[in-house]
Amino acid sequence: MKRIIYILLMASIITSCKSKNEIEYSEDPVTNIEALWEIIDTKYCYVDEKGLDWNGVRDEYVMKAKNVKGQLELFDLCAQMLDTLHDGHVNLVSFFDQSYNTAWYDSFPTNFDAELQKLYLKDYRIGNGLYYCTLHNDSIGYIYYPSFNNSVASITWILFSYFSNCRGLIIDVRNNGGGQMDYVFDLAAPFFSENRVVGWWNHKIGPGHNDFSKPEKLVVDTIHHASYRWSRPVIILTNRRSYSATNLFVSIMRYADNCIIIGGTSGGGGGMPMSYELPCGWTVRFSSVRMYDADKKDIEQGIEPNLKINMTSTTRDDIIEKAIDIINNAYK
Amino acid sequence: MRLKLTAILLLFLLPVMAYEPMEHENILKVKYGFVSQLDPYLSPLSYHGQQIGIGNEWWQPFNKTDKEGYPIHWSHVGRLDINGLSISKKHYNSPTYGLGIYAGWGAYYHWNWFAERLELQLGPYLEANFMARYMSINFNKPFSFDFGIDVMAMTGLYWSFYGKKTSYRLRYLFRTNLIGTDYLPDYWQSYYEIAEGVPGNARCSGPWNHNMIRHELTLDFQFPHSTWRLGAEHIFLNYRTQYMQYDQHQINIIVGCIWKYKIHPNVKL
Repeated sequence: MKRIIYILLMASIITSCKSKNEIEYSEDPVTNIEALWEIIDTKYCYVDEKGLDWNGVRDEYVMKAKNVKGQLELFDLCAQMLDTLHDGHVNLVSFFDQSYNTAWYDSFPTNFDAELQKLYLKDYRIGNGLYYCTLHNDSIGYIYYPSFNNSVASITWILFSYFSNCRGLIIDVRNNGGGQMDYVFDLAAPFFSENRVVGWWNHKIGPGHNDFSKPEKLVVDTIHHASYRWSRPVIILTNRRSYSATNLFVSIMRYADNCIIIGGTSGGGGGMPMSYELPCGWTVRFSSVRMYDADKKDIEQGIEPNLKINMTSTTRDDIIEKAIDIINNAYK
Repeated sequence: MRLKLTAILLLFLLPVMAYEPMEHENILKVKYGFVSQLDPYLSPLSYHGQQIGIGNEWWQPFNKTDKEGYPIHWSHVGRLDINGLSISKKHYNSPTYGLGIYAGWGAYYHWNWFAERLELQLGPYLEANFMARYMSINFNKPFSFDFGIDVMAMTGLYWSFYGKKTSYRLRYLFRTNLIGTDYLPDYWQSYYEIAEGVPGNARCSGPWNHNMIRHELTLDFQFPHSTWRLGAEHIFLNYRTQYMQYDQHQINIIVGCIWKYKIHPNVKL
């Protein structure tokens, strides 16, 4: 028995060896504000692009942290500091609250009304998160895709079979907040006739603001992703809340055959997020991977549509109506 | 220190008994233990938890004798281990769950002394390992996996002896990696890349960027008519890349049952 205790004691000594990367659990406000500042400073990929005096932000919030009492106040202070980045991919998550930044879409037109959408999305089918129906006497296909968290790879062939008699297709990604990057390529590939470089990405590889890996290509692979080709007109509907993976989809579709983007400027969120933890155990999410279009232009600020349209009518969806017009005019 | 002294005394003072080289062993084992992990890619805080596992291990000589009838001291060993772990940080939130599969094969040369009661083994070992994880902290991409193949050095010290009523075998094994391949999320920069298949996330590994050190101490004994194994193992796992260093410690208790094990002439256990 003594031997067993001895072995367990040795084991606990071995496992208690502290790594240089490890920190102690702490609820001290200043410690956590400093840690949050350092996480963003060393891991966030857009520090310089945000045009902030990031060192000044540190001084300001460390001062404020000295007067913070309790976890709720500390959470709010951390959230305020993150809000200075105006990035929808930056969140603070605790077991009692989650912070969001809405500044990136607050000052833009909504350009989406679910009630008006119902005038068009009637007798629809639902498959793998896609809502789809036909419009205008079955001559135009309409797909509403509210989230890139559902795989579309298995449904594209039956979807396009359903739309085989349509003259054009409308893909509505308004208010789609993003999701998985794989599904972006699955949905985009049928609209490309050949493999094409549609973007680039690089990764944060060090603590410096400009420590990035060499850019790597993002390629639409028509062989592996598409079992069906759509060569007729396709219109993508966007608004400011077309964010993150949806922003990437919009960027990619600019290079597709016969594709037009209409609506509002997409939301951006070009940086791919990851997570890290504060000494108090809360999780902070932030962008760590930068993404660019095929011309190596950063897509963080959003994609301008080919045709900018704001919704003004209260009785019809101006953006869907415009898309229908464009498809009909394409055959005149 | 007391443990070391006891081991040395036992090694040299207990009576010498005849021992026949093993013919074949097959061990089915279960293990339960504690895990401590630091993954600075995701958190500066240590995660702690438990793991359970099952495994199968076999070993046998290549041949009993060579063409001239002299004994050949080469044997081989195979292992398959499946482990499940659950770890979390203080306050038990952001848990990580993992499933690991380890398969390996090795060959070793053995030297025997004291009428073959004491045996030293040394040889190479090839291991393939796979770990799938669900990391709730990385809520944007919680699923991840890594894969590796390692050529390792393996050594073992076996000591067989008799107690009052039955025979025992004390066994110490040590294994460490020499060279191999890690399939990692692009040098730990992003777990995305491993899922997206971007080139550049496989790397040559060795003691300069990856350490795996495994100690195992077991005691085999007969009770009542079967042969059992009781033991403990410590595994240290370390990955380094640029300014990050991933560490994991595992301490496990092992209970196993041994089949087809011949420890002494005419005594088949």
